[in-house]
Amino acid sequence: MTELAQNVIDGLGRGSIYALLALGIAVIFGVMHLLNFAHGELITVSGYVAYWVFSAGLSWYWIAPLVVLVSVGTALAIEQIAFRWVRGAADFTMLLTSFGVHFVVQALFFMYVSASVRNFDRPRWITNTFDIGPVTIEVFDVVVIVVTALTLAATAAVLQRTMFGLSLRAAAEDFDAARLMGVKSDRVIRGAFALSGVLAGIAAIFWLMRAGQTTPSAGITPMLKGVLAALIGGLGSLRGAVLGGLVLGLAEVLLRSRLPDGIAGLTDGVVFVLIALLFIFRPGGLITVSRAERV
Amino acid sequence: MKLPGSFADMRRDVAFPMTGAALLAAVLIIGGAAYSAAGGATADKLVTAMLIDAIMVVGLQIYIGNTGVFSFGHIGFAAVAGYAFAVLAIEPARKSTVIRNAPWGLNEVHLTPVQATAVAVLVTLAAAVVVGWGLARSGAKSGSVSAAVITLALLFVTHELALNWTDLTGGDRAGLSFRIGNTLEGRTAIYVVLVAVIVVARLFAQSRIGRLAQAAREDNLAARAMGVNPVAGQMAALLLSVLVVAVAASLRVYDIGNITPKFFFFDYTLLTLVMLIVGGRNSVTGALSGVVIITAGRELTRRFASDGFEFFGASLDAPVVDWLLREGLTQIFLGAAMLGFMILRANGLLGDWELDAWLWRRWRRRKSEERPEPLAEVAPVGLHAEVDHEGAALEVHDLAVDFGGFRALDGAGLTVAPDEVVGLIGPNGAGKTTLVNVITGIVAPTTGWFRVGERELTGAPSHDIARAGLVRTFQNLRLFEALTVRKNVELASRVAAQHRPGSHPAVDALVAEAGLWDVRDRRARELDYGSARRLELARAAAMAPAFLLLDEPTSGMSDAESDEMIRTVRHMAAAVDAGVLVIDHDLNFITGISDRIYVLDQGQVISVGTPDEVQADPAVQAAYLGAETGNRHEAQAGDGDV
Repeated sequence: MTELAQNVIDGLGRGSIYALLALGIAVIFGVMHLLNFAHGELITVSGYVAYWVFSAGLSWYWIAPLVVLVSVGTALAIEQIAFRWVRGAADFTMLLTSFGVHFVVQALFFMYVSASVRNFDRPRWITNTFDIGPVTIEVFDVVVIVVTALTLAATAAVLQRTMFGLSLRAAAEDFDAARLMGVKSDRVIRGAFALSGVLAGIAAIFWLMRAGQTTPSAGITPMLKGVLAALIGGLGSLRGAVLGGLVLGLAEVLLRSRLPDGIAGLTDGVVFVLIALLFIFRPGGLITVSRAERV
Repeated sequence: MKLPGSFADMRRDVAFPMTGAALLAAVLIIGGAAYSAAGGATADKLVTAMLIDAIMVVGLQIYIGNTGVFSFGHIGFAAVAGYAFAVLAIEPARKSTVIRNAPWGLNEVHLTPVQATAVAVLVTLAAAVVVGWGLARSGAKSGSVSAAVITLALLFVTHELALNWTDLTGGDRAGLSFRIGNTLEGRTAIYVVLVAVIVVARLFAQSRIGRLAQAAREDNLAARAMGVNPVAGQMAALLLSVLVVAVAASLRVYDIGNITPKFFFFDYTLLTLVMLIVGGRNSVTGALSGVVIITAGRELTRRFASDGFEFFGASLDAPVVDWLLREGLTQIFLGAAMLGFMILRANGLLGDWELDAWLWRRWRRRKSEERPEPLAEVAPVGLHAEVDHEGAALEVHDLAVDFGGFRALDGAGLTVAPDEVVGLIGPNGAGKTTLVNVITGIVAPTTGWFRVGERELTGAPSHDIARAGLVRTFQNLRLFEALTVRKNVELASRVAAQHRPGSHPAVDALVAEAGLWDVRDRRARELDYGSARRLELARAAAMAPAFLLLDEPTSGMSDAESDEMIRTVRHMAAAVDAGVLVIDHDLNFITGISDRIYVLDQGQVISVGTPDEVQADPAVQAAYLGAETGNRHEAQAGDGDV
């Protein structure tokens, strides 16, 4: 029981970061049907910003807001440079475009910044813990969970209460109909990228605080987690993306602690098998966004 | 699979593809040999790698090109094959140092490279059957995300296994390696495999099963409605492509002499995908062009990056250039190639242009110039079909369909006699298309049943219903757009030949009857609207159906075209001996064509009879013409034809 409680807290902490990444991916998928394999580049770029800011002698109080800003800027820039040209193309054209962006950005950092690991200090409080009864809780997990909850609440408020949110939800429901109703596609798509940039930026802060380093390929793992979480939730469903993130986080932590020693190293492999099984039996993910084909 | 039956035209589908394949292989082999001879050892290595990549990429093309299903997992299959090959082919003495604890006594096994390849292929095929089953279960089709996820999972799972199962794979550091000098010598084996693989890939694309896979790629729903089971084509394509990939992986491992987990992972996936996409994934010629272009590009960028800018003797030695062009340039090149092609030319350089198809067309044009073929000679000869329907009628009984809270059909039923033309009319949202969707297996009914003769078809999959003789057209036109006019019809004809015993209308006769003889080699997507409608009709007729179900065949047509359509429908239906159920809301058209008419309103049949009787029925006037009651249905149901 104690171990389970421990796992749940760890899992939620981890899953919260995935949820933020997945939500950004789902928002973009909703408006333009792009499965964004370049989402992790926002983390890569953020990582170098963190490193440079840190090298300049500034603390995390500076790094955090800068990371969010840079993440938004990068998301918008990528949209302008690459994705706007493939709007409305076949799903796989867009998916491979994002694949291309991912490899180009990675290679640019590799060539012109450095191939080697860049380190920066993690904030000191990150390893602090406190006990509630027999359960040891990391302060960091609590911070992540709380900040994520606040972010999600704010996002929900934006989506529910503002004109932009309404346009975005309408576009996610039926892009063409939304355009006919006067929703400006350009603005909605850019808005979606900006929103995904904010969410990725916040996720990046936590990711980098925990990692304390970055490399040109640092974005791959968070990108995969985000994509998988968004897929688990049922692509295009915003609620599903958050749920998918939490499920993925919990599944990883539970598997890691419960799998027999011999195959504990295969946690990621097992997670992939489970995801493949999910898609074999429920091709739409957990929350299926029904898109009946018109006949 | 009996070979001749698999091909429609021996010359077009066998002789020319083999010639074209031989030409392609010859260009690669001779070009490669020339470059090797000129460039020494490095060039030699480069060419060998390119030829192996070519085999691998053709393997990918067989699946991705023919089915349209995107796979990230083929390099995962390559990893399985590569490790299986290495474990079996490395001599025991060496294995006892790197993988001393190999399971199942594998470190004692020593097979020849050919034997090891054969076993590796079998092991990989077994994995492919499992993955193929999963893909089928998930309903994989062109562009489906679930297929991408499942195949991506395969890639990662094999990688994780390779990393962690160190007893078998040697893990991350050492991997598995052959003793120096114990690796692939010369290129004979590669040449043989390359030629065979290109020929096989081209033949598969022309074979019946390959064509069926391509039909499902173009339009999954329409293919099923034509009696094609997409799973069969996809599975065949997957197994064949995995076989090729497994051989290529064995060759690659044997050539390089070792294998580590990163050997068949993300980077190689990117490389092979870029090669496939740049040239054009729907054609073997395209895939091979992509291999050559990307290999050359990588080599050039690698040289730029290492020596500064030096090109055909011209050198530019500036620090700026040195700084700009450095290690990593090849990665940029690959990423940018993918990005650029996706943005500018998503179907690749050649699209689905195929060397042999091009040769074939040129050859035939020259022939036909010599001996012009009068239209009359091919026209209505052989339009007649004789498939024994046993005088079976189509009976639809008490169908109900609920979409959420909306009851689209509410106890509708009808019968169509085998030689009858029956019209189904009703206002928008009356449930006409839903009814056709139910009896073609696209929508499951909440209650009710339907059958042809004694054969109960309720709940059967679409392709079985089509094979049983219920064949439809679509309101919003679903042709196999990338295929030519003739191939659209030919495809349905092939399905009929296999699943509908009897004699079938000749493809050319149908094409001529539909007035499409002059455009028979055009792609379906290039047709004007009226021609496209007639093509869809001809395609359905080619199935030699017991019943033709026509969903608004004249929507968007002028009156003159509608009248012409009436004639064509009647003539074709009589010729292929089919009953007809035709939906329309154009009253003139329906009364002009039908023997009997059912009127549907709010999911129920409100009137049946001859055109005159129905027109006189006051209930029909109220509901359909809306004379007295106004447009109450339009506001309520919108265009509920889903």
